[in-house]
Amino acid sequence: MLRAEINDLLTQTGPETPMGQLFRRYWQPVLLAEELPANDCPPVRVKILSERLLAFRDSAGRYGLIDEFCAHRGVSLWFGRNEEGGLRCPYHGWKYDVTGQAIEVPSEPETSNFCANVKLKSYPLVKRGGVFWAYLGDPAKQPPLPEWEFVTVPEGQTYTSKRLQECNWLQALEGGIDSSHVTFLHSGNLDSDPLFKGARGNAYNKGDLKPFFEVADYEGGLLIGARRNAEEGHYYWRVTPWVLPNFTMVPPRGDHPMHGHFWVPIDDEHCWVYSFDYHPTRNLTEDEIGAMQAGLGVHSANDANYRPLANKDNDYLIDREAQRRGETYSGVKGIAMQDASLQESMGPIVDRTKERLVATDAGIIKARQKLRKAALALAETGAEPVGNRPQDQKVRSVAIVLPADQAFIDGIGEAMVARPGVPQTSV
Amino acid sequence: MPKVVYVSALGDATMVVGQVGESVMAAAVRNGVPGIIGECGGNNSCATCHVWVRDEFTELVGKPGDLEDDLLDLGVSERRDSSRLSCQIVLTDALDGLTVDVPAEQP
Repeated sequence: MLRAEINDLLTQTGPETPMGQLFRRYWQPVLLAEELPANDCPPVRVKILSERLLAFRDSAGRYGLIDEFCAHRGVSLWFGRNEEGGLRCPYHGWKYDVTGQAIEVPSEPETSNFCANVKLKSYPLVKRGGVFWAYLGDPAKQPPLPEWEFVTVPEGQTYTSKRLQECNWLQALEGGIDSSHVTFLHSGNLDSDPLFKGARGNAYNKGDLKPFFEVADYEGGLLIGARRNAEEGHYYWRVTPWVLPNFTMVPPRGDHPMHGHFWVPIDDEHCWVYSFDYHPTRNLTEDEIGAMQAGLGVHSANDANYRPLANKDNDYLIDREAQRRGETYSGVKGIAMQDASLQESMGPIVDRTKERLVATDAGIIKARQKLRKAALALAETGAEPVGNRPQDQKVRSVAIVLPADQAFIDGIGEAMVARPGVPQTSV
Repeated sequence: MPKVVYVSALGDATMVVGQVGESVMAAAVRNGVPGIIGECGGNNSCATCHVWVRDEFTELVGKPGDLEDDLLDLGVSERRDSSRLSCQIVLTDALDGLTVDVPAEQP
């Protein structure tokens, strides 16, 4: 039920597109800290928002994100030599610093000023909370550094992984907004996954298969409340924040770490899913980190290039027997790949003119409208987007039992605000 | 018993006798008016009951709600100032004679 031109508008994020321009007003995660582990380590290809870039860490530990290709004859600098304060093209020895400035063109005479006039495009790249962040927009409009709680808590309290997803970013994001699918697709995981099991809230989830959804506006995006029956006269609310353009958090369970995602466009047919877990007030335990590294919870088991081991080439290792037994609802193992398998099955860019939405899709409808309005307002009037300001980013998901006559937005109060040292609100 | 007139894209008018309290979509579906689908059953989520309200009734009928407004922006073939989802218009005696145009295509 989405008009074709709006589907194009929302799914295309290249440099000249309205959504691409909107994305270029936000810091986006582009690498994990482990990908640039040491000074002069190998450079890493970064494709984001349909731009091909290269990240490297020079001899002095400075980070650079520059055009992937040498200004001379277009060789990929991924083959380059990262040495003595710059990245040198292996073809003719041209050398660039972290700002993309050419600092040596060895073939030119000593007296030549040639290299002073050669500069590759470059973007700021900063490490914060185990993640490298890049800003691809107008330098004059650069927002403050990311203030998400998962990047600002002490190092021992947070863990981030990433995986390749082989479809457009929007259908992946929409999975993060649509908590209605949890009742079905992920029903097998609540009791078995060490990062979810044991929470009191899980029983409410399983006891009410027809949750009611209510969507509330908030300054940075939306709060999507899923209401299920709890004890007499009470409801169990799971509240998912979505912050423009591509941040979502999953409502917490008990004292388990809280988790969420960034859905980052690589190009129009692929995205990186950054999945984080953190606890606001304590270190993650060894067992928890072990489970995350093993691909449990919202994470996945991947190959060295962060492509999941269960992928479309092997039908996501679907186990029909487990599906039949009800151990896993779809037969695919793990929350992350249960989602990814179905979202990739829609095709690289799903044709939303043919979809048939129902009442539980209200969050998706409102998110599309907010994205559309933000992209058009930026394109037409230069209106400042929301979601890139620190106050928009100090947000948490919530799981709470409220009296039946209380609106969730009143009942959660400050619980949705990330406050240092204050535990999450969770049942 | 308010009467409602539905005018198709070809100009054919169908008059239906509605009941106070039912929606303009429900009255149409109950009487088999072509072009009003109401796939989601009146839940304000599918946008397949789009109509254009005739000028003389727009004030009386009022503006779309928040989610309805989003659905009209995103989904329907031609959004106009007079666009409404007919499942969100509840019939009253004051709306007797309400006339709406039905688009050639629903989403």
